[in-house]
Amino acid sequence: MWHRERILLLLAFVQSVLVVGWCFTEMEAGPGAAMSTQTNGDRFKIEGRAIVPGVKTQDWVSTARVLVDGEEHVGFLRTDGSFAVNDVPSGSYVVEVVTPTYRFEAVRVDITSKGKMRARLVNYIKTSEVIRQPYPLQIRSSGPHSYFMKRETWGWTDFLMNPMVMMMVLPLLIIVLLPKVVNTNDPEMRKEMEQSMNMLNPNPELPDVSELMTKLFSGSKGSSKAGSSSKGTRPAAKRRGKHSGASRAKKLSMQNNNADLDSWDQ
Amino acid sequence: MAELILLWLKCIILYNAVDAVFEDQVGKFDWRQQYVGKVRFSHFDTHVQSSKKVIVATENNVFAALNTRTGELFWRHVDKSGPEGNIDALLHHGQDAILVVGNGRLLRSWDVNVGGLNWEIVLDSGSFQKACLVGQQGTVKHVAVLKKNIISLHYLSNGHQKWIENLPDSETVDYQTVYSGGNGEVYALGIVPHSHIVIIAYSTDDGEIIKQISVEAPWLSNIVASCAVIGQGVLICVDSATPSLYMYNLNPNMDDLQMTQIPLQSLGLEVAPDFQPVLVSHQPNSAHQPLSEFFLQLGPDNFLLLQFNNGQIVTLRDFKPALLVSFATTGEKTIAAVMSPKNKTACSINLFSAETGRRLLDTTLIFVMDPNGGKPEKIYIQPFLKKDDSVGYRAMVQTEDHTLTFIQQPGRVMWIREEALSDVVTMEMVDLPLTGTQAELEGEFGKKADGLMSMVFKRLSSQLILLQAWISHLWKLFYDARKPRSQVKNEVTIENLSRDEFNLQKMMVMVTASGKLFGIDSKTGSILWRHYLNDVPSNAAFKLMVQRTTAHFPHPPQCTLLIKDKDTGLTTLHVFNPIFGKKSHVTPPALPQPILQSLLLPLMDQDYAKVLLLVDDQYKVSAFPSTKNVLQQLQEMASSIFFYLVDSSQGRLSGYRLRTDLSTEQIWEVVIPMEIQRIVSVKGKRPNEHVHSQGRVMGDRSVLYKYLNPNLLAVVTESTDTHQERSFVGIILIDGVTGRIIHEAVQRKARGPVHIVHSENWVVYEYWSTKSRRNEFSVIELYEGMELYNSTVFSSLDRPHAPQVLQQSYIFPSAISTMEATLTEKGITSRHLLIGLPSGGILSLPKMFLDPRRPEIVSEQSREENLIPYAPELMIRTEWFINYNQSISRVRGIHTSPSGLESTCLVVAYGLDIYQTRVYPSKQFDVLKDDYDYMLISSVLLALFFATMISKRLAEVKLLNRAWR
Repeated sequence: MWHRERILLLLAFVQSVLVVGWCFTEMEAGPGAAMSTQTNGDRFKIEGRAIVPGVKTQDWVSTARVLVDGEEHVGFLRTDGSFAVNDVPSGSYVVEVVTPTYRFEAVRVDITSKGKMRARLVNYIKTSEVIRQPYPLQIRSSGPHSYFMKRETWGWTDFLMNPMVMMMVLPLLIIVLLPKVVNTNDPEMRKEMEQSMNMLNPNPELPDVSELMTKLFSGSKGSSKAGSSSKGTRPAAKRRGKHSGASRAKKLSMQNNNADLDSWDQ
Repeated sequence: MAELILLWLKCIILYNAVDAVFEDQVGKFDWRQQYVGKVRFSHFDTHVQSSKKVIVATENNVFAALNTRTGELFWRHVDKSGPEGNIDALLHHGQDAILVVGNGRLLRSWDVNVGGLNWEIVLDSGSFQKACLVGQQGTVKHVAVLKKNIISLHYLSNGHQKWIENLPDSETVDYQTVYSGGNGEVYALGIVPHSHIVIIAYSTDDGEIIKQISVEAPWLSNIVASCAVIGQGVLICVDSATPSLYMYNLNPNMDDLQMTQIPLQSLGLEVAPDFQPVLVSHQPNSAHQPLSEFFLQLGPDNFLLLQFNNGQIVTLRDFKPALLVSFATTGEKTIAAVMSPKNKTACSINLFSAETGRRLLDTTLIFVMDPNGGKPEKIYIQPFLKKDDSVGYRAMVQTEDHTLTFIQQPGRVMWIREEALSDVVTMEMVDLPLTGTQAELEGEFGKKADGLMSMVFKRLSSQLILLQAWISHLWKLFYDARKPRSQVKNEVTIENLSRDEFNLQKMMVMVTASGKLFGIDSKTGSILWRHYLNDVPSNAAFKLMVQRTTAHFPHPPQCTLLIKDKDTGLTTLHVFNPIFGKKSHVTPPALPQPILQSLLLPLMDQDYAKVLLLVDDQYKVSAFPSTKNVLQQLQEMASSIFFYLVDSSQGRLSGYRLRTDLSTEQIWEVVIPMEIQRIVSVKGKRPNEHVHSQGRVMGDRSVLYKYLNPNLLAVVTESTDTHQERSFVGIILIDGVTGRIIHEAVQRKARGPVHIVHSENWVVYEYWSTKSRRNEFSVIELYEGMELYNSTVFSSLDRPHAPQVLQQSYIFPSAISTMEATLTEKGITSRHLLIGLPSGGILSLPKMFLDPRRPEIVSEQSREENLIPYAPELMIRTEWFINYNQSISRVRGIHTSPSGLESTCLVVAYGLDIYQTRVYPSKQFDVLKDDYDYMLISSVLLALFFATMISKRLAEVKLLNRAWR
């Protein structure tokens, strides 16, 4: 309920703005309906011209119409792009040129009861705001309508700039480049690294998810391969317990306990 | 800063909500058909010999040029509908076409080649009578317009007025027609009924009256109906009472005061009893005088070709039987075309020389009449000279059902335009039937009485059938692939119609105002059947109901069309099969009393036809079908059948209950005071609508339950006071069973026309705000609150708590023509509003934008709920146009129908044009998108496969090497 009140408040505000705007038109529309040169009784004529830059008028006028306040009054375009909507009583109207291909801005035209005309920008929120436009109307097309969405096409750049790919490529680079930078043959360094690895894996008894998975999927046949796939990061003791079934793998891992780290680094 | 964030948020949401057409989807599953309406005037463009244009002006205020080879439109101009855009006259000269529009209000000249306007001028007020081209010394430079009290002459080149004259004694004399024979004079012909004819000759140069004369004619009442000008300016009239022909020479040198009488008996002719004879004359060129030959119609099927020669009338030829006649001119030759009935289903058209009445050789053309169509009404002939100087021709035949048929010799139909479709009143989309194999498979599950073995056999045999069908399908694919692509045509005929996998192809049953029914294939737009009901009153109201769908094989599907005469209220029923268009064997009940209301109940009879209840003006109820079974069911159900009646002339809404003896009892009545406001429309919910979720999850994980009352009616009222300060639009939500008013809202300083959509727990309506001079949308949503009173079933009689009502309004930057909401199978997909705009676009606006819970200040909770921050103005983005550049003129209705896919809703927009497409309000979440990249996914898979192979090999080598170390 509360936002309904808000709207009411807003509407009240708009209303107060409007009252000011309304006064303007009322004042200009004095009493009496004198005939101006282009009037016919108390009916008037809205004139103007529509231009599509760079396109011949013959190519688009046959599909164009001039709509005044929806379909309240309808006008057609002459072969040179100019138009006149006849038989319009005094009031305020939104005039738009409609074609399926080109986009035109709508214009608000005010006609006083004396037949005085003026054109201004359409502003539905501040309806009384006046930003003058030339009259007779000069409506330039701002280009063709854009009806279609662009298909997402697949390109190498899209692929490479994908965050997932980035996340995969960057660690790979580090893996490849890091051993080149750090000398792994230095025993002190190696010790340090081993320590830091242990730090990373604080609880060696806790089963790792990835390992659990490998165990699950590898089954009995691929255990040797699985062993090679998860080498290096974890202490040898733990792995030995795991792959007890495969003696060759055990031997390999025992032998290459330290070499594992190398191969991981390479 | 906060505003910035807001804006940014809005942009993101807007971008995400975009649901647009991709460019490569154009024409893939959508089609448009453009119509012009019932042709009133038609001219063949003759100023270039090879021209392919025929220009038409129609009763729908459309002016268009058609291609005579294909029947398609070159261009079309749609004027305002109603009397203000009414086309009164069409004159054609060279490449200019002159139109008189809006009861003589405007005079327009069009360039026929380009389709652009040459000029438009406003004529002086006065009711229009007649216009004609005025020629002088062989050239046509002016157009004369005759009105009730004035005659004016305008230049053809720029429309400027040359002169204007008041007609003398216009209070007493009824000036009806204007004539010019190309000799520098314009004749205005008026009549004082049953007294005398007034003839005034004006000079073309300055409008001076050359001669004014009145001729005794006490037998004449209407010049247009019974007179014509022939030869060197001879006015010839026919009187059925005497019966005789009267002649008067308009030539100013003659000063007779009497018309010469020639009794028809002296010519050996006889008028058919009770028939008003008609004269048909022809003026090939406005700069020259008309022909001396003319047709005289003496009976419904009797025409005579007569010639006026030195004051004598000679009969050239008697045509009996003849249905229609027409004159046409090519070069110097004028011919008369006569259509005569050949047998029950065909007519023949023959050409005759106008001068002699002799039949031209090899000019017979056979026009085969559609047994489901109307009778021929008008015939337009396009003659042309062949190389050997003989006359060839094509003919355009207009029939009662507004169909245009263009035929070439010797009877080849070049194209058919079903102009009745320009005025679709109502429509339904019916599922197509299953094919034989599909029905067989379905049948397997139908019967349960069989034993185990037979079930197994059935299973196997149906699998075999499937395999067979699949192989034949493959074979067909293979066979088609070898043929060049242009030859492969998937012609849809009524025989090979069947439902597709996702039920996306349906039969569109369209009812037009002329009383012609159409069955259109929704995939291609081809008309599969047509049926003309020739006894439909002109002001009929239609209601189309699907009584039995295709789901009940072997019972045929059944539709019932209710045709109600608006004046008398008398109603007839037309029962037909919606797939084939054939009238059903079921005889509908005769309805002697005016019908007030009709209801299609969910009850079915033993043949699976839904029961239609009709309430007559004595408040008696009759059922159709009314078998014993139905009546028994009705008796059982009677206590839960309620209906309402609306009497907008008295502002009364009343609710009734059915009694077991099929009489009714009024249970509530709401009177809306007629002095203040009137009922404009009453909208219920669509019966086939499904609501998937009962509530909305809020940001704090609580649930706000929707108020889903299936009996809710939205009543729209408009104030009788139209002053812009005092006018208002009211909306009343009322329960149709109890008459309880759930909610009432008034929009002050607003007026109609109000467009309304009522669905689920919301009502969206649009009105014109007179104060701000703009269109506004308002949405009302109803909620039960945080708790549901009775979650299993909704009963109007047991709902103690009034619902919570939320409302919000928005500015819409355009007028709208019509509005409808999308509809899907299960209601899971989010809803969009489809809004027909006067510009011809159909905007698909997400309902998300019309949500009264849109907050003004964004909070954590509203963000979690995905609510868009409130903005007063709704946007129109051309990307949201579901019909891209395929504009639809004068959209009158949008029909939405669910398909077999939950994501897809079928949309048909109809007005002057018909447009069919599919929309995916939540995108295609249940099928692979048509841009799904099979190449990418398969190449990635392959690449990964090879990469694993290679890396496996490498790893093995490495391990081996290490083991050897």
